[in-house]
Amino acid sequence: MPADMDNSSVMNDSTASGDASASSSGNQAAAPPTSSAKKKRNLPGMPDPDAEVIALSPKTLLATNRFVCEICNKGFQRDQNLQLHRRGHNLPWKLRQRSSKEVKKRVYVCPELTCVHHDPSRALGDLTGIKKHFCRKHGEKKWKCDKCSKKYAVQSDWKAHSKICGTREYKCDCGTLFSRRDSFITHRAFCDALAEESAKAQTVEALPAPTADDEEPKLQTLASSSPPPSVAVQPPPPAALVSSALPVQNPEGPENPKQSPAPPQILEETSVVTSLTGSCGSSSSSSSHGSTSSSVFASLFASSTTSASLQSQTPEFTDLFRAVARPENASEVVASSSTEPISLCLATSHGSSIFGTAGQERRQYAPAPQPAMSATALLQKAAQIGAAATNASLLRGFGIVSSASASSGQQEWSGRGIESDSASLAAGLGLGLPCDGGSSLKELMLGTPSVFGPKHTTLDLLGLGMAAGGGPSGGFSALMTSIGGGLDVAAAAAATFGGSGEYSGKDMGRGS
Amino acid sequence: MRESPQSSILSGALKGCLGSLDGACIEKLLLHCASALESNDVTLAQQVMWVLNNVASPVGDPNQRLTSWFLKALISRVSRVCPTPMNLNGNSSPQRRLMTVTELAGYVDLIPWHRFGFCASNSAIFKAIQGYNKVHILDLSITHCMQWPTLIDTLAKRPEGPPSVRISVPSWRPPVPPLLNVSSEEVGQRLGNFAKFKDVPFEFNVIGEQPTVPSSPCISTLECSSLQYDFLLNQVLNPSTLKLEDDEALVINCQNWLRYLPDEQNNGASQEISCRDIFLNRIKDLNPCIITVVDEDSELDVSNLTSRITTCFNYLWIPFDALETFLSKDNSQRIEYEADIGHKIENIIAFEGTQRIERLESGTKFSQRMRNNGFFSVPFCEETISEVKFLLDEHASGWGMKKEDDMLVLTWKGHNSVYATAWVPCGFDD
Repeated sequence: MPADMDNSSVMNDSTASGDASASSSGNQAAAPPTSSAKKKRNLPGMPDPDAEVIALSPKTLLATNRFVCEICNKGFQRDQNLQLHRRGHNLPWKLRQRSSKEVKKRVYVCPELTCVHHDPSRALGDLTGIKKHFCRKHGEKKWKCDKCSKKYAVQSDWKAHSKICGTREYKCDCGTLFSRRDSFITHRAFCDALAEESAKAQTVEALPAPTADDEEPKLQTLASSSPPPSVAVQPPPPAALVSSALPVQNPEGPENPKQSPAPPQILEETSVVTSLTGSCGSSSSSSSHGSTSSSVFASLFASSTTSASLQSQTPEFTDLFRAVARPENASEVVASSSTEPISLCLATSHGSSIFGTAGQERRQYAPAPQPAMSATALLQKAAQIGAAATNASLLRGFGIVSSASASSGQQEWSGRGIESDSASLAAGLGLGLPCDGGSSLKELMLGTPSVFGPKHTTLDLLGLGMAAGGGPSGGFSALMTSIGGGLDVAAAAAATFGGSGEYSGKDMGRGS
Repeated sequence: MRESPQSSILSGALKGCLGSLDGACIEKLLLHCASALESNDVTLAQQVMWVLNNVASPVGDPNQRLTSWFLKALISRVSRVCPTPMNLNGNSSPQRRLMTVTELAGYVDLIPWHRFGFCASNSAIFKAIQGYNKVHILDLSITHCMQWPTLIDTLAKRPEGPPSVRISVPSWRPPVPPLLNVSSEEVGQRLGNFAKFKDVPFEFNVIGEQPTVPSSPCISTLECSSLQYDFLLNQVLNPSTLKLEDDEALVINCQNWLRYLPDEQNNGASQEISCRDIFLNRIKDLNPCIITVVDEDSELDVSNLTSRITTCFNYLWIPFDALETFLSKDNSQRIEYEADIGHKIENIIAFEGTQRIERLESGTKFSQRMRNNGFFSVPFCEETISEVKFLLDEHASGWGMKKEDDMLVLTWKGHNSVYATAWVPCGFDD
């Protein structure tokens, strides 16, 4: 296994010098420690384990016109093109034939160390591909679209974009623009604007007074006096409306004699129309089929172009508006426990997404962008933490409060805990500690207990404060106790992490 | 400072990484963590987790983002190894974000991951139902009918006029993202609206009574999954529930669906084939005129945890990488899309037995299964292929497509991501 890594290092270094270097170590891909060569063949990330992995230098990849005519200095991307050009100068020319023998399959890796395509298992199959990739990803964006000011590093990308920019635009009634027809069609099918249009086709002018309740009698009145919320019904006979088992096409509610089970339909209409209550079951969107005040909001969105574009591009703001339309539920949503029945769960998730997303975005702007933490730096820090046995708790840092609020905990997990923990650790870098590891990877993999140090210091990483005792499950019990039992501690610790004041407050509310 | 034993362990692990933690290194670390968990080595597990935690960031580069989800899944796995009073309801998932239908419409078009399958399948369906005036589509998918507007649109423009279209969906779907904040009925209603707008006679049905999912955690998950499976077999794939008609073309669309059917041998004494095969046979009995199957091309139903982690990591970098090319690091749509993938990662890594519902098999294996079960594949015609190519041209240039035996495969930078296939039962009576 160490041999593998040495090979990797050889390949990495070789790209720093010279124009091109080829290493024919086909199976260099990151391999699970215990897999055999045969198993690597099946790795999905490795299309052809026998392929020759080639690493070209940045200079080579960026060069566009390597082949230059000696007469007029005109540059060409391919030698073939140069040769054809030379004919024009009446120079002897020769097109190199494709070699008849089997050419070994080549794959190309990106020379950029931090790039995902630096890894042979992510190599790209053709030279043009890797050149384009390098240019796009790591190159300067010198090509700019006139119309929309989008920037491109690869000229062909820019050309391709310019061709279509602004030429094909599909506009939905709600104001959203699409450059692709299929996305336009799909959006249109489900857009509220279409629902409104069909409602309008009923030739009704006045919008009904918004009623926020879901009682059946009132709704009956609503259904009969107001424009029916669902399908547009023209004079053509109801037979054209293929009736289904569920009241999909029923416009008139209880008044339509052809529809048999009236009460269930009303119920259905109830949940569809009255979105203001956030009732259990189906629609909780204020822009549902309803012709109540929900459509007032919808038309508000539709009429103003700015908010319409908001609607498509910043769904979280639209949700915010909708949540506002549901007064009583929105504010309580975020603080409430997550074990409520479905109705509030819907609202909860909505609420979380509103505040969560926005909150996340705010918080993530605050700390500095994470530096790519080097392995060396991590070693230094690990040494520091392990030896000093500080209070920093590994799993506290994850923000895992308890399983009861694990749902919310897990939601925040991704947004907060990891970030702040890493940020504070990042601050502790650069201590100048020497890093020289004695043990090899092999030792580590075998996991010989002799390699591990005194357990008490290690366990303190978790803040367990006890020796690793008992059998296998004993260790895990300790691990889980720290997760589960760390309720107050975790919440308190969470509160101290910078930049997360908002969330930890809610956390504690939930956890306690 | 004296170098502690911990640093020597970690230095060993990180030695090969040469100062930067790339995908290969992270993968190694994940595997170390997994094997530590498997061998109950808490010390090593927490050390590796500590390192991974420093790498992970849900708003970093794709590797960092992927790592954060994997790490979360590993922690989730640990918490199941040793259940505490607090996680008795072992199968409960965190509150998942619910989308509106318009949000979902945008979501499926963020990258061509889903749209590729929609396009290939719809094209195959269009061809297969030529000559029919009535079409019945049984839609088994996780994307809530996002596939159908474009088909309805195409059918509306048919020279001989559109057929009448009937779409049936089961009342139960696997509890996985993307999740909607409205019912299937509401979705059907909107679809009906659209069909009307396009003058296509349309009907929408939600099939079957919802299997009663008990709220009490005492019922085993085994019972849960068999309830759902019975529901699917007996209520959904049932000619009378479906109200099949002779003059109707029956289309069965399986999109990201078959992976949720258990593939182990049934426990019943007489059963020798798996639930998945039984399901396919039942489909065959319905005599559909075409079955379109789309799913992700990766072998993720492996019992060995470390293999699963490797395969998963080496496959799911694809959507993360694709999203990276055009969305910023803090883009909420991107974060949400990745979170949904994280949900999948968690199920694959943290769960076992019947709780691990993600049982994806590769396209090649699946194709063989179909052939074994008495289906033959319908090749995609040139028209379909050019339609798909056209679609992909409109997306970022890393997306490509290739034909592999019976399948059309969506590729990202040359790596297989999604496969699309079409089948008919051998001996189909037209």
